[in-house]
Parts: sequence; structure tokens; C-alpha cells
Amino acid sequence: MIWNEAKECMSRDEILNMQGVRLKKTVKRVYHNVEFYRKKMQQMGLEPGDIRGIEDLNKLPFTTKEDLRENYPFGLFAVPQSEVVRVHASSGTTGKATVVGYTRKDIDIWQECVTRVLAMSGIGANDKIQVAYGYGLFTGGLGLHYGAENLGATVIPMSVGNTKRLITMMEDFEATAIACTPSYLLHIAETLEEMGKVDKIKLKAAICGAEPWTENMRREIEAKLNLKAYDIYGLSEILGPGVAADCDAHNGLHVYEDHFVPEVINPDTLETCKEGEVGELVFTTITKEALPLFRYRTKDLTSISYDPCECGRTIARISRFKGRSDDMLIIRGVNVFPSQVEAALLEMGETSPHYILIVDRVNNLDILEIQVEVAEHFFSDEIRKLEGLTKKISHVLQTALGLAVKVTLVEPKTIARSEGKAKRVIDKRKLL
Amino acid sequence: MIQQLSIFVQNEVGSVAKVTAILKSNNINLRAIASFDTPEFAILRIVVDQPERAKAVLTEGGFAVTVSEAIAVELEDKPGVLHDLLQVIADAGFGVNYIYSIVIRSGKVPLIILNTDNLEGSKSVLKEKGYSVAEQEDVVL
Repeated sequence: MIWNEAKECMSRDEILNMQGVRLKKTVKRVYHNVEFYRKKMQQMGLEPGDIRGIEDLNKLPFTTKEDLRENYPFGLFAVPQSEVVRVHASSGTTGKATVVGYTRKDIDIWQECVTRVLAMSGIGANDKIQVAYGYGLFTGGLGLHYGAENLGATVIPMSVGNTKRLITMMEDFEATAIACTPSYLLHIAETLEEMGKVDKIKLKAAICGAEPWTENMRREIEAKLNLKAYDIYGLSEILGPGVAADCDAHNGLHVYEDHFVPEVINPDTLETCKEGEVGELVFTTITKEALPLFRYRTKDLTSISYDPCECGRTIARISRFKGRSDDMLIIRGVNVFPSQVEAALLEMGETSPHYILIVDRVNNLDILEIQVEVAEHFFSDEIRKLEGLTKKISHVLQTALGLAVKVTLVEPKTIARSEGKAKRVIDKRKLL
Repeated sequence: MIQQLSIFVQNEVGSVAKVTAILKSNNINLRAIASFDTPEFAILRIVVDQPERAKAVLTEGGFAVTVSEAIAVELEDKPGVLHDLLQVIADAGFGVNYIYSIVIRSGKVPLIILNTDNLEGSKSVLKEKGYSVAEQEDVVL
């Protein structure tokens, strides 16, 4: 169902007008309250009054993750600390963590957005949802939690770390929905198969996000668990989960444009891309109080469409992600995204979807090795068939990537399953 | 026909020992074993007294396992007998995929295990020529 028809089905003119009004207000507030943006705007000779509507958005400066790190922890907050009711922080894999804050109103908007996502996935007050994202500083757990409560659903706050217990409760409580990463859901599906319990569960919908995944992975999850899987997108800097999500049409993710204005830019020239052209996704928040951001560069690669969707929503849609501009591997001059490997393997359908890319440099030549687990139902008694399979995988990947690939078959369950973001790449070159 | 288990193992230190450890802890008795290697991985083929149970515990232990059929033929212990047997199969126009070890059975003649591209046909021609082809229960006892 459409939770907030007034906001999700506006005409394009109504959307642009609303965005213009909200942007002007945000720019004024930020200019007066955030030294970082005031200085940037002064350097550019830009005054709040220069932003007269949404068409002036591209006059504003960009913001990057580095800007957040340099102003660690609260330097970009636009409200006094007394108005901040919660903080979250992203995992600091490189350097300091990125800290984000929320006012009471920010939290309300966040849960409204997540509620819209859940309603779009067919979830309602009669559903019992297991939230199996991490609870804590990560936005996934609490973000889904409050959105589901706001919807009136029964929340089972599982967090992560104990798959057997999750399955016991899934069965005993007759959970009808689950929210977790797609790779973790595949792990749950495998465990259910091992326990012979797939028929015992009542799940009808899964809300998956926090890592890139493919249409093929969606189909595999849906077939294994007999449910509908939806894609939810978000990033803590902008909100957390609930910035965008897909509907039954699975034809792009709807962006809640009454709160976040999306743009797609060419990451090299920083020029705005045309509708449909792939580039880096950029967001400007227009209702956030604690941490409003101008033109935040997500590094996620996508394209945008303003055509109304068959579901009735008129808000902009971003296409399924083509990868991130920063997890892109360059191997012998060829751009490689782990998602391409996954798509090719699943398309081929003769291996398990568990793989890892190992990039190494031998004699100044980059070597790409892909380890793939042998799935029991594809394991042949004959060595020549296994060698044939290895050759076929190499060929399929070589075609998909435009790069010679060394394929190694490995034993089942030897590639680490992750309960958070799946680790798909070991780049040994960085260690040199 | 007898049942054999084929197990995918990576070519690394201790990989076969991982398999035998599982068999030992489940008290499964090995009757024959052979490994066929390639640079990256190996297929370990085994004949055991409880094939279904062995498959279950090995799968649980994280191995890819298939159960397939193979021919087990009784052979006298004297020169030339294996050649005579292979000639029968060759004359019938069947190809041998692999042959492996001998099942030890107390007080009985040894068995040779082979896989061909036509198992039923090979079994028939061997029987016609008077060979004794063993069944699973002959291996277990």
C-alpha cells in the first residue's frame, strides 16, 4: 500500500515547489548555524538569498565523507546539543568514524520514511517483523525498528549474531517479515535448508539493504524462501535506511523527495548527468535539523528517472546500483565491480553464489583470482566435468569482465559468511 | 553394484585427514579409498560400510559429496586376471573411467572396483563371462 499518498504521489511541479521552499529555509538556517558551510559559501561568493528555488541547487558546494571526518564529531551539527536526541556512527574502516545526529523531528521523519518503505513492501500492523540488522551505532537496527513500530507491526528486535536463535523465533513466533542484509538472508536460507525447516517458516517479505546486491540474488532469495524481497537504501549521513526503496515493480528505488533531493553527477567533471545517465548519486537534505547536508557525495553509482512508476508513485526513482565508485577495482586497466562477478555466476547457474575476488600483483602484473564454492548439487564425480566447470566459469567471467580470470573451486562453506556487509574482495596489492 | 562416495577436497595439507576424522568419530568403516588429484583440488573416492550415513555426516562437516554406483568384481590372486577382465570390457566396446583399490574382506577373495561409461552393460558382459560381481551387502560384511 501507499502509506503517504499526499507525499509519494505529488505532481512534478508540486514536488519542485515544495523542494524549493524547503531548500531555501535549510540554506538560511545552515548558513547561520554551521561555520563549515558559511565559510565555503563565502569563499564561493554565495549568499543564502542566491538560492531562490530548487533550480539553484547546483550552486551549492558539495560535501564529502572527508568533510564529516574533518569535523569529527559534531562540527557539522546545525542545532545546539540540547536538541540532539540521538547519535549514530558508521564503522570507521578507514580513519575516524562518521558521526551523525538527530533531533526529535529528525527521528520522526526517519521513522515515517521507514514506515513508507515497509508499507510499500506489503507489511502492515498484522505482521511480525524480525529486525536482524545490528542494533547500536549502526543505523540499520534502530532505523528499521522504529519504522516498524510506527507502522504498528510487531517488532522482534533480533539484531545479529545468533542465526539458530533467529530461526527458532522465526518458527515459534511465526514471523511474517524480516529485515537484514541480502547476504545474511542467503546464509539464513542455507541454514534453514540444512535444518530442513524451509517449509515451517511463514515469512512473506524481506527488506534487504546495507550492501549492493543483484536482481539474480533477489530471485535466488525469493525462490529459496518463497517470499518477496525488497531493496531498501540509505546512508547514515543522509538519514539511515529509508532514503529510498523499491516497490513490487522492482524498477528502481523510490526516493522520498519531500525530504531528500537526489542528483546524479559525473564524478570526474562534477557536472549534473542527464536523466537516465549513470553517475554518482548526490543528496541534499531539505528537512533535516541536526545534520543538514548539501550535495553529499554518496560514491554510489546509479541513474535517475522522473517517470511516474506503475505503482502510482510519482517520486524520482534511482536505478539498482551499478557499484560504488570507491569499491571499483582497476585490474590491468579494466574496471571490475564484484557485483558483475556475482551477476555472471548466478546467471550461469552452475555454482553457488559464494565467491571471493583475490587481486594480487605477480611480476608487476595484476592477477585476478576468483574462488567459488562447489555447490553439492553441481559437484560431479568426474574430474573432467569439474575441470570443464572451472573452464566454463573462467570463460563466463572473462566475457563479463573483459579480463582473464583464474578460477579456483573451493570446498563448500569455506568462504566466510558475513552477518554484516559481505566481504567480496581481498586486494593483496594494497599491502605492498 | 556397490555404492561409492566421491568427496571434493581442496589440494592442501590435512584435507584428506579432515574427511577421515569425520569417518572415525562416527565409527564408519572404510573398505576402500582412492584419491585422484589435479593441481587445485582432488576427488576422494571411498567405499564404506554405511554410505548414506557417511554422506550425511560429511555433508554436515562442510564437504560436497555425491554417492554413485561402481562395479566391484571378485578377482583371484594370480597374474593376468585383471588383464582378462579389462579385455572383456574393451571387447564389449566400453571405456573404463577409473579403477581403484581392492576391498579387503576377511576370508574372501579381493574385489577390484571400476567405473566405466556403461555400468549396466559392463556388469552384464562380466556376468556372462562368469565373473562374480559384488553387491553392496558383500562389501559391508
